[in-house]
Amino acid sequence: MSEGHNDHGHGEQSFISKYIFSFDHKMIGKQYLTLAMFMAVIGGALAMLVRLQLGWPGQHALFWEKLFPTGMASGVMTPEFYIMLFTMHGTIMVFFVLSLGPVSGFGNFLIPLQIGARDMAFPFLNMMSFWTAVPGAIIILISFFVEGGAASAGWTSYPPLSAIRSAVPGSAAGQTLWLIGMVFFVASFTMGGLNFVVTILNLRTKDLNMMKLPLTTWAQFVVGILGLLSFPALAAGAILLLFDRSLGTSFFLPAGIFIGDELFPHAGGSPLLWQHLFWFLGHPEVYIIMLPALGFTSDIISTFTRRPIFGYRSMVYAIIAIGFLSFIVWGHHMFVSGMSPFLGTVFTMTTLCIAVPSAVKTFNWLATLWRAKIRFTTPMLFALGIVSLFVTGGLTGIFLGTNAVDIQLHDTYFVVAHFHFIMAGAGLFGLLAAVYYWFPKMYGRFMNERLGKVHFWFTFVSYYGVFFPMHYLGISGMMRRIYDPNTYEYLKPLQPVNTFISICAFVLGAAQFLFFANYFWSIFKGKKVDEENPWETNTLEWSTPITVGHGNWPGEIPEVYRWPYDYQNPDESGDHVPQWQAPVKVTR
Amino acid sequence: MAENIAANRDAKHGMGLALAIWGILLVSVAYFFKYGLPELASERTSQDTLYYVILGITGVVYIAVQFYLGLYIWKFRHRDDAVGSYWHDSHRLEMAWTIGTVVVLIPLVFAGLVIWNDVKAAPPEEEMLTIEVVGAQFQWDMRYPGPDGQFGTWRPELYSLDNYLGLDPDDAAGADDIHVVNQLVIPVGRPVRILLRSKDVQHAFFLPNFRVKQDLVPGIQTSVWFTPVKVGEYEIACAELCGLGHYRMRAFLSVRSEADFQTWVAEQTASSD
Repeated sequence: MSEGHNDHGHGEQSFISKYIFSFDHKMIGKQYLTLAMFMAVIGGALAMLVRLQLGWPGQHALFWEKLFPTGMASGVMTPEFYIMLFTMHGTIMVFFVLSLGPVSGFGNFLIPLQIGARDMAFPFLNMMSFWTAVPGAIIILISFFVEGGAASAGWTSYPPLSAIRSAVPGSAAGQTLWLIGMVFFVASFTMGGLNFVVTILNLRTKDLNMMKLPLTTWAQFVVGILGLLSFPALAAGAILLLFDRSLGTSFFLPAGIFIGDELFPHAGGSPLLWQHLFWFLGHPEVYIIMLPALGFTSDIISTFTRRPIFGYRSMVYAIIAIGFLSFIVWGHHMFVSGMSPFLGTVFTMTTLCIAVPSAVKTFNWLATLWRAKIRFTTPMLFALGIVSLFVTGGLTGIFLGTNAVDIQLHDTYFVVAHFHFIMAGAGLFGLLAAVYYWFPKMYGRFMNERLGKVHFWFTFVSYYGVFFPMHYLGISGMMRRIYDPNTYEYLKPLQPVNTFISICAFVLGAAQFLFFANYFWSIFKGKKVDEENPWETNTLEWSTPITVGHGNWPGEIPEVYRWPYDYQNPDESGDHVPQWQAPVKVTR
Repeated sequence: MAENIAANRDAKHGMGLALAIWGILLVSVAYFFKYGLPELASERTSQDTLYYVILGITGVVYIAVQFYLGLYIWKFRHRDDAVGSYWHDSHRLEMAWTIGTVVVLIPLVFAGLVIWNDVKAAPPEEEMLTIEVVGAQFQWDMRYPGPDGQFGTWRPELYSLDNYLGLDPDDAAGADDIHVVNQLVIPVGRPVRILLRSKDVQHAFFLPNFRVKQDLVPGIQTSVWFTPVKVGEYEIACAELCGLGHYRMRAFLSVRSEADFQTWVAEQTASSD
């Protein structure tokens, strides 16, 4: 809260303490972002390989054998390689990209700046959280190179498939490394969640009460709580599964498992227990991914419409409601799992409740666009893209949340479409929008606008091209995780759809190079920011100097006098009034 | 002023976005008419009805919201003479759309629960045929109770390549059980209950034409029931990742007339003697 709090090198810092083991939330945020981007390239490449197989099953050029001698021997992808691909794609994207980027990356970078704090409440813990995520990521990446390959039981890792080493090649060493990597990840994320919650509750500057926080901060706050409460369930499950795999326990394994002429000695466990533990995390996890994007969307839309966000109070309540409800809906992943049908009834009721705050947020965004003066910068384009994708993805959730209808659609491409629209759509576009928007604050330069817009157009259009047709595939009965749909007569007519999707996917993948090139080039050569508040917006982070030093504000921390949405306020002069601007007695 | 010029220039991207959203809307809705549910061959019409009701409601909302999104993007793009408005709260409007959403969802929830109840309720016992389906990496084994109408007992300790189903050789009831691989033959017009067992990992028994899907969970017996209403040949799919052969864990369902079914049963019984 005051300068000189921790003496960790206010003079010249060494390269190590400034860039490697930094305690500064801004550097840690950028480190997380860099890690997330690196993992995104890998996760994206895995997806491209999946689409290669689905677009043109079984026919690939011989050069692939050079890259993947076992997985694509003679240019033909093996089924075990294929299932490893989507398993690791899901794992990397959900945890190491979409959680680390918007939450760990932007949460760390923005929270102290938006609430008027010098740093997070626990800078050392913050540094530890990043350096716990890194080994987790490394272990996950190493798992590709062990015998049997990386985990192959889906990102959901259901036992017994994930528990019995001989059930699938990836369940040998690869699955063990997956579990250990996830334990590291959970530890990292839990540390982060603690930091977020304590910081936001305790370190807000003078007069900044909770109902004056930007929606970005509100989202990160609720996400911090979700992370703290839900991730331990996955850690527990992962550790129990490690025990089942290596110590002969039977938490998830019943008697009577017979694989490869061997009857396994386990007894008394239930595969359903894993599902409950996993999805108890898994469902809040997807809201952890989604809520920051919704927060960014609100603030970016407000800035570039020159309007206050419509219904700020309900937006806050909606974020809280979504956060709370996310804990009581997990069973909608398990309607046909063999769990008690009564639970199916309960979970349908709770799941459809989440539609209400989501609808409220959508209508509030639409109302914010009403009588606006929209400036279509790159971040604004992505934010508007989020609204479109969120609507599409959210509506298909109604089908899946209704148990009777889910029977037909569960484990089909309808589900794949739904979650890609929401998580990858809202989540990924949220991350991209946030990068374009806060890049000037991170690096004192702008990203290239023209390249940004080209990136947006290719990404948005190809995005719909990839994922919307998956609804049709699911309705027609195409199952998930299928190496070659042409095995089934009734799926053969769908091959052209799969090929179309794959082509769009390659366009989508290629377009992301525009982003990476723009990002890294602009750090060094981007157009320099010449004013502190280039977007003319109201949130507190824009009150720092252009180059944000350690401690964020060189002098006193600004006080906050108002909410962040004073645009065209008739009681105030000027197009916008930042939060830190004191009220001025206007004399005429 | 330079910003105003830039903002006005950017407005063409806004117009483009509106057109893109509308274009995507048109194309996505159009193709919905091309790709529908697989032809229904069971009595589970209510699941389909509810699907179409939800499709109708979400379809209307999808079209309306995407349309208005595009419209507002177009209409309120930056122009020099445009003025943003400070209006940011309307209790009445917010109440209206919140309550509206709840009102639309409640009937869906109840319809879903009623249909779910019917699906999960005990099947009608008269004339019902019970068949055991055993899933294992990567095939489906069907077991019929045979003329005595009883299934023989089984134990996992008895699993072997020669005794695939682990049947107890000392149990007389099992002696006449009919065992077929990857082929399920059932008569039309009678309810059939499928008892599901897994020998190894999780699988899922999926009949796309019958709106039937149920996971096979090692350690417990799950079940589904349905009534086929049409004679024909259909495919059975595995719908839960079960290993490298998951994609080819496929079997065939043959719905036959009662007479043809009895003939088939007699053939199976004769050939296993």
